Amino acid sequence: MTRSDWLEQAINLACGLLLLTAVGALWRREVSALIPILSVQGIALTAIAALLASEHPAGAEAVVVAVLVGALKVVVIPLLLRRVHRLVPGARETRPLVNVASSLLAAAGLSLLAYAAAGPLIDASPSPTARATPVGLALVLIGFFVAATRQRAVSQIVGLLLVDNGIAATAFLATDGVPLIVELGVSADLVLAVLVLQVLTARMVRTFGDGDLDDLRELHD
Amino acid sequence: MNVIGAALAAAAGLALAGAAASVLFGRSARARVAGPLTALSGVAAVVAGAAAVAGASWSFATPDLLPLTGVELTIDALSGWFLLLVGAVTCVAGTYTVGYVGRSGEGASSRGALFLLPLFAASMMLVPLAASVPTLLAGWELMAVTSLLLVLTEHRHRPPQAPLANATQSDERTAARAGGAVRDAAVWYAAMTQLGFVALLAGLLWLAAVAGGTSFAAIRAGAAGMDATTAGVVFLLGIVGFAGKAGAVPLHPWLPRAHAESPSHVSTLMSAAMVKLGIYGLLRLGFDLLGGGATWWWLVLVVIGSGSALYGITQAAVAQDLKRMLAFSTSENVGLILLGVGFAGLYARSGNPAAAGLALAAALLHTANHAAFKALLFAGAGSVVRATGTRDLDRLGGLVRTMPATTIMFGAGALAAAALPPGNGFVSEWLLLQALLHPGPDAGTLLTIAAPLAVAVVATTAGIGVATYVKAVGTGFLARARTDPAALARESPPSMIVAMGLAGLACVGLSVGPGLTVPALSRIAADLELILDTGQPMVPSDLALRFDAVRATLWPLWTVLGIVAVTVAVAVTARGLGPARRRAAAWDCGDGPLTARMEYTATSFAEPLQRVFDDVLAPERDVDVTHVDESRYHVSAVSFQQRIPDRIENRLYQPLLGIMRRLGEQARGLGNGSVHRYLGYMLGALLAVLVLGVLR
Amino acid sequence: MTADVRGLVIVALALGQAVLLAVLAPYVLGLTRAVRARLEGRAGGRLGQPWRDLRKLLRKGPTSPADASLVFVAAPPVLMATSIVVAGAAPFVATASVAGRADLIVVVGLLLLGTVALALAGLDTGTAFGGMGASREMTIAALVEPTLLLSVFALSVRVGSTDLATIVSAGATDPASVFTPASALAAAALAIATLAEGGRIPVDNPSTHLELTMVHEAMVLEYSGRDLALVEWASSLRLTILLGLLANLFVPWGVATALTPIGVLIGAAVFVVKVGLLAVALAVGEVFTAKLRLFRVPELLAGSFALALLAVLAAAVLG
Repeated sequence: MTRSDWLEQAINLACGLLLLTAVGALWRREVSALIPILSVQGIALTAIAALLASEHPAGAEAVVVAVLVGALKVVVIPLLLRRVHRLVPGARETRPLVNVASSLLAAAGLSLLAYAAAGPLIDASPSPTARATPVGLALVLIGFFVAATRQRAVSQIVGLLLVDNGIAATAFLATDGVPLIVELGVSADLVLAVLVLQVLTARMVRTFGDGDLDDLRELHD
Repeated sequence: MNVIGAALAAAAGLALAGAAASVLFGRSARARVAGPLTALSGVAAVVAGAAAVAGASWSFATPDLLPLTGVELTIDALSGWFLLLVGAVTCVAGTYTVGYVGRSGEGASSRGALFLLPLFAASMMLVPLAASVPTLLAGWELMAVTSLLLVLTEHRHRPPQAPLANATQSDERTAARAGGAVRDAAVWYAAMTQLGFVALLAGLLWLAAVAGGTSFAAIRAGAAGMDATTAGVVFLLGIVGFAGKAGAVPLHPWLPRAHAESPSHVSTLMSAAMVKLGIYGLLRLGFDLLGGGATWWWLVLVVIGSGSALYGITQAAVAQDLKRMLAFSTSENVGLILLGVGFAGLYARSGNPAAAGLALAAALLHTANHAAFKALLFAGAGSVVRATGTRDLDRLGGLVRTMPATTIMFGAGALAAAALPPGNGFVSEWLLLQALLHPGPDAGTLLTIAAPLAVAVVATTAGIGVATYVKAVGTGFLARARTDPAALARESPPSMIVAMGLAGLACVGLSVGPGLTVPALSRIAADLELILDTGQPMVPSDLALRFDAVRATLWPLWTVLGIVAVTVAVAVTARGLGPARRRAAAWDCGDGPLTARMEYTATSFAEPLQRVFDDVLAPERDVDVTHVDESRYHVSAVSFQQRIPDRIENRLYQPLLGIMRRLGEQARGLGNGSVHRYLGYMLGALLAVLVLGVLR
Repeated sequence: MTADVRGLVIVALALGQAVLLAVLAPYVLGLTRAVRARLEGRAGGRLGQPWRDLRKLLRKGPTSPADASLVFVAAPPVLMATSIVVAGAAPFVATASVAGRADLIVVVGLLLLGTVALALAGLDTGTAFGGMGASREMTIAALVEPTLLLSVFALSVRVGSTDLATIVSAGATDPASVFTPASALAAAALAIATLAEGGRIPVDNPSTHLELTMVHEAMVLEYSGRDLALVEWASSLRLTILLGLLANLFVPWGVATALTPIGVLIGAAVFVVKVGLLAVALAVGEVFTAKLRLFRVPELLAGSFALALLAVLAAAVLG
């Protein structure tokens, strides 16, 4: 096997891992299980970034980007999530809006839609790894789905993070590499978003005693 | 830069100066500077308009000022006519503002109100100048927004009423109720004008898209190859937008409210100038841009015009609120103008451009006449409202002694509005009837049936109009005052009388010398590919209206001179015979002196007409009998209330509003606070877009 | 005839016609009253009685009510002036005289102006009867307008112009064009409109003394002396004008079509005879009809409107 073939196989493996973790996020009920899943996803994403950086002509910047992605998604974000989770330990998704079986079927459907919709993206892309772009899009859709159908505040954050992971994956796979400045900006946004959501969740727990979003149903002045 | 360019620049500059002056000056000088500046801006516009109708042309384009397309301005004879109208009315309104708004610094004399007034006038001048769709729409919306804010002027501070013996907290309650009425008027106006704007936007942009360009020149070229359905739909949307702004039935509910509740200088501008721009839009769209169109378009206009004329004058005849009556009268006159425009189109379609030119000339002359006498009438009404604090004709009376100048002015305006011979309304009505009476030798069945029906509509409208204005003048101004505020009225300040005098001069000029407008009307007709044939070379100083092609002549100057001369002769001769005149009490059947309560009120004057048109008006009556406690056979008090609602509003608009309310209440469930629902909407939208992308 | 001389002759003719009608009008009124009296079995006054009434009133001093203003004083001259202008300008005696100056729509408008002046005067008195009369009179005037203008339309269709002189001379020179269904229908419609405009039975009873049944008389209750003389004279002049229009539009023979002295004299004589005959017919009709309730009058006017509309359609369809 040539180096590029081996590279391509590794990337496909990482993409598969991405997809698997996404489905896992839909499958497990305990909120405490979502954090390791997200960490594994972060590792897979870092792997993709690193593999692509090794082939990149302007290597230094891409390596820095890969390191940044790794630091963020494997270390910082799970740390923040653990802090949120500590507010309501032992939380479970007891009454999701769509039950687990249907969620998994929906995930499959969304993946198919992502594959169909990403067709023009693949054709337009210069990079050889672009064939794996549907994975990124599927990750976005599944992340959205998670946010829309899960009860607990922590799950919503997880959904947002999935969406971001999907966008990052699409960016890495379909383009010539993400510039440093863009990655910096996106990371800063993401950290900020998670921090804000953490504060809001803490507020909610303090007011309602639980992290259940259904408590936020009634509109008040 | 030629005359027009210079005059327009002057108009714009003066308007901006007026706006600036209203911000910079304190409340004592604000109106006295801003008003005359606005009036001078109007004069500049009149100069520009007059030059344009005399044949000069001008255009201007700049790619800035508006994003994407820039501003394009052009003037031709048709634009010039309407610019002249708007300018003249602005001149009257500006002069009027000086005395009307007072110096209190609140309400109509506040910074905001006086800032918006010149801007409103300037936006009205922009609309006829527009030579591209975005410019027209920008001017239209600017006009709508400024006029809406001006309508809202008095929602907190109504000007104080004349001093009453027991004026206490009833003033606050009245003020609160008045504020509510103003806000209600503003809401109706805002909703309907935006509805019209959306229709205009859709129609004009579609037209531009099909024709391949947004400038009028491009549209004119591209519209030649357009298919009939598209053109028809565009014209219908144009009718919704333009005829709605003009106040034609059934798009009229905003008109009586907005014109009655806004301060009178604003009512003058709106009623005399703004509604004419709706007519301008229809003429520009129908005749110029779309090149004539199909017969059914003009038939729709004829039907709308007839309905407006009849319904408007019927409601005006039974209205007891003076400004509401004048507003419905505007609706009626707009109906007559639309009738003329519709018939111009019908004649053009049936291959008779001479008759079409005559009908168009009648419609355009009526726009000018209506602008003149409606400005005069609203100025007079404003004078009355300012002096007495009430618009209710049933409470007025006796103003001929305390406010003689206003009475004379209002009487002159009423004479013109009633379309009686020395007035200018009669001239344009005569011309309209001439146009209807000569459909030509080979007019089709449609025209042969439509023309007599239209004559009947015009005649009925004229008859009821006479009764309406006799009611307004007779009960509002003559005999004795019915209530204290009317008795304590004082004459208006000189600036208001000067303004009324200017409008009166315009009326007299148009009634005595309508022939002076014929060259302008011929030029406009020629521009729109119609013919206004006088049959002989035109002498510029010829005052009479002479159309040898249809063998019609009108000599208003001789009529006026004849009437005046003979009246004076008879009066002088009679004075010389017999003993002198003396005053005595009127016959009171021996029961004691007559009180003002025994006079006929406006409601009682209009009661026979209201009974005749009972089916159309459907008045609501409420009789409340209070019995004496001890016995039900004895009555201690009876109260009678009659309201004449706007039937079209009740039958057409209230059900629509009910449906919208129910839809709104059901739609409340769409946003119930659940985060999941909102996220679900976003996900759904994203999925829908992706699916659509896949399917294409 | 040179243009100047012709102009002078025309002006003289107009003045003469106005004087003729002004002198004739009270006699027409007297004739109707005399015929009516005879038919009712009374002796009645003589033909010249209205003239004697006018002379008596002109000698007396007028009185204005305390609440009235200038409108009350000015209305009788305005009413008289509009009637005189119409009397002078309309083609009663000769058509050549006023060609191009007497438009039928203008004539209708001038008559309406007179009505308006009187209605405003009625409101100006400040009495309930004045207002009542004004209100009723304006309602009737409003409902008669459509009939009048539609009849104008019907008459002008066959001639192609609304100029009175053209219509009358077209009828005079081509007798067959007068006997069309359109003409007959228009004549009927105009006859009813004449009754309404002139304030005769069945629309209004000019000799009633019950105020609540009055329409025209209620407006002029407060007038006295020379004001009343002018009003009465103007009313009879208006009636004569209306009868004259009815006569010349539908029975136009005898009207002078050229400006010769003999022609003018014959025209005047024929005019007097025609108006006299119509006055007799009016009086006979009044004896055998009762006055309608005020709220039945719109039905009558609607009927005349329908006749006028049929006249127009007949003119358009049957030519």
